[in-house]
Amino acid sequence: MNPTNLTDFGPSPISATGIDPQKYNPVALMPDVRVCKIGGQSVLDRGRAAVFPILDEIVAARKAGTQMLLLAGGGTRARHIYSIATELELPTGVLAHLGGYVTMQNARMLQMLLAKHGGVYILPEDFEKLPLYINMGCLPVMMGMPPFGYWEKKQENSRIPPNRTDAGVFLSAEFLGAKRAIYIKDEDGLYTDDPKKNPKAIHIPKITADELIEKDLPDVVVERVCLEYLKTSKWVKELQIVNGLKKGQVTAALNGEDVGTIITA
Amino acid sequence: MSNLTSGDGRNHIESKLMRESLQNRGVMQGTDGLKDRRILPDITLISIGGQSIFDRGKSAIVPLAEEIAKLHKAKKPMVLAVGGGTRVRHTASVALDLGLPTGGVAQLVGAMEELNAVLLNTLLAKHGSITMPRDHFWDIPLYLNSGILPIVISVPPYHFWEPPPTEGQMPMHGSDFGIFQQADVLGTSKIIYVKDVDGFYDKDPQKHDDATLHKTLTLKEINTNPPESYVLDKAVFDAWNAARNVKKIQIVNGLKAGQLTDALNGKDVGTIITKENS
Repeated sequence: MNPTNLTDFGPSPISATGIDPQKYNPVALMPDVRVCKIGGQSVLDRGRAAVFPILDEIVAARKAGTQMLLLAGGGTRARHIYSIATELELPTGVLAHLGGYVTMQNARMLQMLLAKHGGVYILPEDFEKLPLYINMGCLPVMMGMPPFGYWEKKQENSRIPPNRTDAGVFLSAEFLGAKRAIYIKDEDGLYTDDPKKNPKAIHIPKITADELIEKDLPDVVVERVCLEYLKTSKWVKELQIVNGLKKGQVTAALNGEDVGTIITA
Repeated sequence: MSNLTSGDGRNHIESKLMRESLQNRGVMQGTDGLKDRRILPDITLISIGGQSIFDRGKSAIVPLAEEIAKLHKAKKPMVLAVGGGTRVRHTASVALDLGLPTGGVAQLVGAMEELNAVLLNTLLAKHGSITMPRDHFWDIPLYLNSGILPIVISVPPYHFWEPPPTEGQMPMHGSDFGIFQQADVLGTSKIIYVKDVDGFYDKDPQKHDDATLHKTLTLKEINTNPPESYVLDKAVFDAWNAARNVKKIQIVNGLKAGQLTDALNGKDVGTIITKENS
């Protein structure tokens, strides 16, 4: 059970010498909100055939009382701009800023389709209004890219921003105090290799972040930084990747059921 | 000219990254290069410490502002960035006592830097300064060509999305990192951090009388021999390892008249940290 009163979160950690990190008593801000990503390349770039059935399940869950925040991925247009920006040798921070626009478009597309069911497009600047939208029964939709933009730092051996929409979903869930971050993609979750390129790839239903890092796979289904964040996050302890192309998986995930792949802390 | 393509149920634009997983190491590596484009190479970013300068009040701020005004009159292309100082620490201590998440702290602290940006602007406005919203840096050429001196806050806009820290609860991406990252993405090769000590010492000079100043250091030396205390946030050095553009960080004492001027004129004052193979 989530604490209902603030006093249930425990005593003050402050002392004459400042904060004792051992005694930090974090407050979960909105732990009941399901934070859910709709993939860019995996879902939105498929168009109507993939998007409509998923939104139908989302709307049904919202009508049944599930609180949620939707975040949109980027997809092929992000890959296109990253590709050209790479040729121009632009810094990672510029790529992160550019990628944000694509996820903004995708979030707006979702909002238009969800409008009659309460879809509202929100900016990261509107994040503090989330309680209003949730309590009104709305379906807030936001760009998945975190707002690091030009301040996204380069990582070794890549020009691609390490914190993209998977990270944005993770970090949104972590801030809200949710236990799980949900990713709707076009595969059943994690495989031993990219299942689109290697038909022999084997599905992995449950795995810990450490086991996954140890496997040192050439490819993984979520941005690698999310696995790092899982190790030190306060609230998000599970990443769930589900197949939006299979009827019922989104509903099951929104109901808290273990479908797809669960990556645990 | 790129074509649209489908056939696997997804609609793609042809590009080198089409259909690729951006988590794939080989794909990611293929985007890397030995250098990054320098967008505004000729400016110097100058970071003015919150606790080290602003919290000391008039006696520290006014002489430094006068020195900056002279440098601006001498047409040195620069952007000033301010820290927040003790009010940031206070904000964090109250916020963490309340149990707010790290992202909540990260969202809050920038406001305390805005105060120092306004303070500095009250002293420099008559010389042409302006407070610039942090992401308006595409306006920098306009400002500089018009003789305007931009003042920005330093903390990066990670806000509620600040990643979970590897230890403790404080955001890892603070002011020193923010200004470093801004300098690197703009393609400036040099940053000057103005503090209240002469530079980078082997230990905290305000606590140890026998601390000795490093006149020069390399990033490699800092990596292999991590110092006892860092005069800049460690996050700066972590980010610098992968960064491409910043080649030189100079730390000077803003309480000593002329040190900032000397640094901007390319003189070896304070501590100069360089990145190898530059």
